[in-house]
Amino acid sequence: MSLAPVNDSVTVHRLIDDPYPVYAQMRTHTPVVQVPSVKRTMLTKAEDCRMVKDNPALFSSNDPTTPMEKAFEAHTLMRKDGEEHLRERNAMMPTFSPRNLKTIWGPMYERYAAEYLDRLPRGEVVDLFPTLAGPLAARILAECMGIPDASDEQMQFWSQALIDGAGNFGWFDEPFERVARANKEMNRVIEANAERVKAAPDQSALSVMLNAEDPIPWSQIVANIKIAIGGGINEPRDALLTIIYGLLSNPGQLEEIRASGNWSAAFEEGVRWVAPIQASSRLVLEDTEIRGCDIPKGTVVMTIQASANHDEDVYENGHLYDALRKSQPHQSFGSGPHHCMGTHMARMTVGRLLLPILFERFPNMRLENPEDVVWRGFGFRGPINMPVRLN
Amino acid sequence: MPRITFIAADGAETVVDAGEGDSLMQVARAHNVDGILAECGGEMMCSTCHVYVEGDWLDRTGPADEDERDMLDFAPCEITDASRLSCQVKITDDMDGLVVRLPERQV
Ligand code: HEM
Ligand code: FES
Repeated sequence: MSLAPVNDSVTVHRLIDDPYPVYAQMRTHTPVVQVPSVKRTMLTKAEDCRMVKDNPALFSSNDPTTPMEKAFEAHTLMRKDGEEHLRERNAMMPTFSPRNLKTIWGPMYERYAAEYLDRLPRGEVVDLFPTLAGPLAARILAECMGIPDASDEQMQFWSQALIDGAGNFGWFDEPFERVARANKEMNRVIEANAERVKAAPDQSALSVMLNAEDPIPWSQIVANIKIAIGGGINEPRDALLTIIYGLLSNPGQLEEIRASGNWSAAFEEGVRWVAPIQASSRLVLEDTEIRGCDIPKGTVVMTIQASANHDEDVYENGHLYDALRKSQPHQSFGSGPHHCMGTHMARMTVGRLLLPILFERFPNMRLENPEDVVWRGFGFRGPINMPVRLN
Repeated sequence: MPRITFIAADGAETVVDAGEGDSLMQVARAHNVDGILAECGGEMMCSTCHVYVEGDWLDRTGPADEDERDMLDFAPCEITDASRLSCQVKITDDMDGLVVRLPERQV
């Protein structure tokens, strides 16, 4: 057997601008491929991505060579395996229980959604990225994390700083300096709120973790909140914008979804079509083999869920948004022990609550120039603007 | 080896041999039974492995406990007394012949 083929021609810029044709080529010709520009072996088939994520004993999340630890000033749960991972994850789980989603976060989200929608002017072209998608995702996260005094702007700044820091594989100074600043601010806000929830416990993540019978270390409580900030704003924001784009550019589908009320299908299809988190990395712990290629111990494989979600073995016309598609499993929330903690939160807030409210409020919303929408991102991907006329 | 029948929402039946000690979810995935997503891989965190245990078989599998019922709340289809998360059902040799039905969707 031999090592995976090498693709020297793919650049990071290409992947940031327009990755899907690259992945389609890879799925056909080199489904397991070394990509020197990202220093990873990419896996582009659905079956392989799922296999890796479901097999943490062989494919570890604990890769100490990434800039994540420096950016988060902590060894976070996302980079841990086994018992330690589970313990830190379970510490935060009660916040996201079905009961809390139904009785606390759902109703709160609806109130904020109404308030933020009230601010949008009718009849004008409005960019929904900075006016709705970003701030609303930031607001509900600040609340459920237990740092409600953090502003939407702060939350979004911190989130981007964490993402840019954790993705700073070039080890440049600026992203680390920016995230160091963000860390100072976050630490201050989290500490201040810790005093508050100790005195008056609630269901927020900070409170649940701090007031637990056998709490995890303070360093990991803070790290968990930062993981949620780094991983809980972009994705619902990008998912929402992607779905709006998908529905507005397919009016027939929008009509059917309106009639059926099956907004969850529009949501699932949006996150399938353009996965907000496109890729994840795992460190290979033992020599192994994937699809006939030798994968030596120490290799970092990258599951490309963006590509898995378009895999011809699973989907017909996977490159098209089709909210009426027969439901198909996608990998946008990952799988295995690191399966997204915010899955149910995102499905409820964006899918079941916001979409129907938004399209009811602006029944004649129009995307006048779809070609003005700019898509960007390799690790995280979504539209960076969504100029629609609200009516 | 216990023999297990999965009945899809459209009535299609898949009959498979299960390894003892595996969970019902692992059996389904090992045999590519459609309709069980099991996104979290069996950690009881995703509620995408919902099944209905057919008839008297519930006596063998037992009902969902309180934690499992809480998690089942996330499943999109109707939850009944026969609802289980298949990752929480361990196959034992007295389950030979077990029949479970799959819901229409898992998300
Ligand atoms: C559409 C929205 C979302 C998408 C597509 C998404 C996607 C993902 C993915 C793919 C992972 C797994 C990463 C890996 O395997 O390495 C993940 C993990 C995670 N997500 Fe999300 N996410 C979303 C929303 C949220 C929200 C709203 C929150 C918080 C409230 C959140 C919190 C987390 C956390 C804490 C983890 C780490 C879990 C662990 O390592 O055990 N996510 N997410
Ligand atoms: S596999 Fe996730 S709850 Fe059963």
